Amino acid sequence: MGLRFTLRALLVCFLVFPTAKLQAEMKVACFSTVLSEIAQKVGGKNVTVTSLIKPGQDPHEYELTPGDLSAATASDLVILSGKGMEVSYLRNLRDALPKRVQVLEVGDQLPSLSKKAEEGNEMTQDPHWWNSVSDTEKATMIVRDAFVHLDGQHAADYQAAAQAYLNSLQELDSWARRKIAELPRNQRKLVTSHDAFQYFAKDYGFQIDSIEGLTTDQEPSVSHVTALIAEIKKEGVKAIFLENTLNPKVSVEITRESGAKIGGSLYADGLGPGDGETYAGMVRHNVTTIVDALK
Amino acid sequence: MRGSPLAQTVLVVAVLLLLLIPLHRLTQREQRPPEQPVVSVAPKQLHLAIRTTAVPVRFEITFLGKTLWAEEALTPEVAKEFDLDFPKEGIDLVVDATWETKALAAMEITLSLPDGTAIHKTLWGQGTANEVLTFQEQ
Repeated sequence: MGLRFTLRALLVCFLVFPTAKLQAEMKVACFSTVLSEIAQKVGGKNVTVTSLIKPGQDPHEYELTPGDLSAATASDLVILSGKGMEVSYLRNLRDALPKRVQVLEVGDQLPSLSKKAEEGNEMTQDPHWWNSVSDTEKATMIVRDAFVHLDGQHAADYQAAAQAYLNSLQELDSWARRKIAELPRNQRKLVTSHDAFQYFAKDYGFQIDSIEGLTTDQEPSVSHVTALIAEIKKEGVKAIFLENTLNPKVSVEITRESGAKIGGSLYADGLGPGDGETYAGMVRHNVTTIVDALK
Repeated sequence: MRGSPLAQTVLVVAVLLLLLIPLHRLTQREQRPPEQPVVSVAPKQLHLAIRTTAVPVRFEITFLGKTLWAEEALTPEVAKEFDLDFPKEGIDLVVDATWETKALAAMEITLSLPDGTAIHKTLWGQGTANEVLTFQEQ
């Protein structure tokens, strides 16, 4: 009886524990700070997330390194911002990844806003969708669905975690709308270092203008800066905003010429040190800074 | 020109100092505050009417961070006049409503402009509803 029980127990151990060990966590590599947070929140203990773009790093200036490529190659899923954000290295990345690694370009599944390039008539897709909380909600659902598809065994966990995160995003959006309602709609004129707030402006009724273009590597032309100063004066814009990843030199010069003040620094390209270490912190910081400066 | 060198020097210095004033004005960077928006908005008399599917309802309407109208309505229709700025971009009203019933209820808010234009917005809730409503002329 005792021997039979021991054998049965051993058999159960052989059957259960190796299987448990084989069900390793899903490995995910993210090329976006916001998507890293989403992947961590939705994935929980079932997913290991490697953030290849660090908080505070300018994603427009990012260059794919051999170390980051190794991390992406070792993962099951690579998550990208999409909408052209990774255009400078996307082809190399896709060519280098083994076929078993899935690539998810989240932004490409979201509605797009575009803007005319400063030179020429070409329309450029705006990649900064995360500055819209409602788009971040949609991104969360896209990530959740990808996790469920790749690891159906933990589908219930992913769905529950995603729902909890979505609830927090809805609360955040509601808070942002109430805070922005303190600012008269005819004073919602947002001038920032680079053109990263179109999605934000659409959600919350702002008119926007920027010193640089959609990417941070586009130097502003003299004619653009002159026109911008005239516009700031004409519209009576109270403040212009700097960004955590950009050199504030031109912005400061524009405030001198236009009489507008510096309203503070915004997180434009994702999470960063300080208030912006979390997505909610980032949005709260941006909204509070904008409203308090323009009131 | 005759005179003592000291007097001539004083004269030259005085002229140079006088020239400095217009020169300074010409080269000084403008530090004016930004001009006010060209579109000035005069307050308009706006009529706000509330119609609710259930009473009693306690509601608060906030405009630019300040309470505009807070009341416990015991009848399905209440209305009030307000003098408010109404720019072409419209206005946002924050509405918080609490019904005694926990069943689904609706509150319709109608904002009427002096020219007779009426803008309708509705919010729904079970027990409570909180929303930012934007009123804009089409």
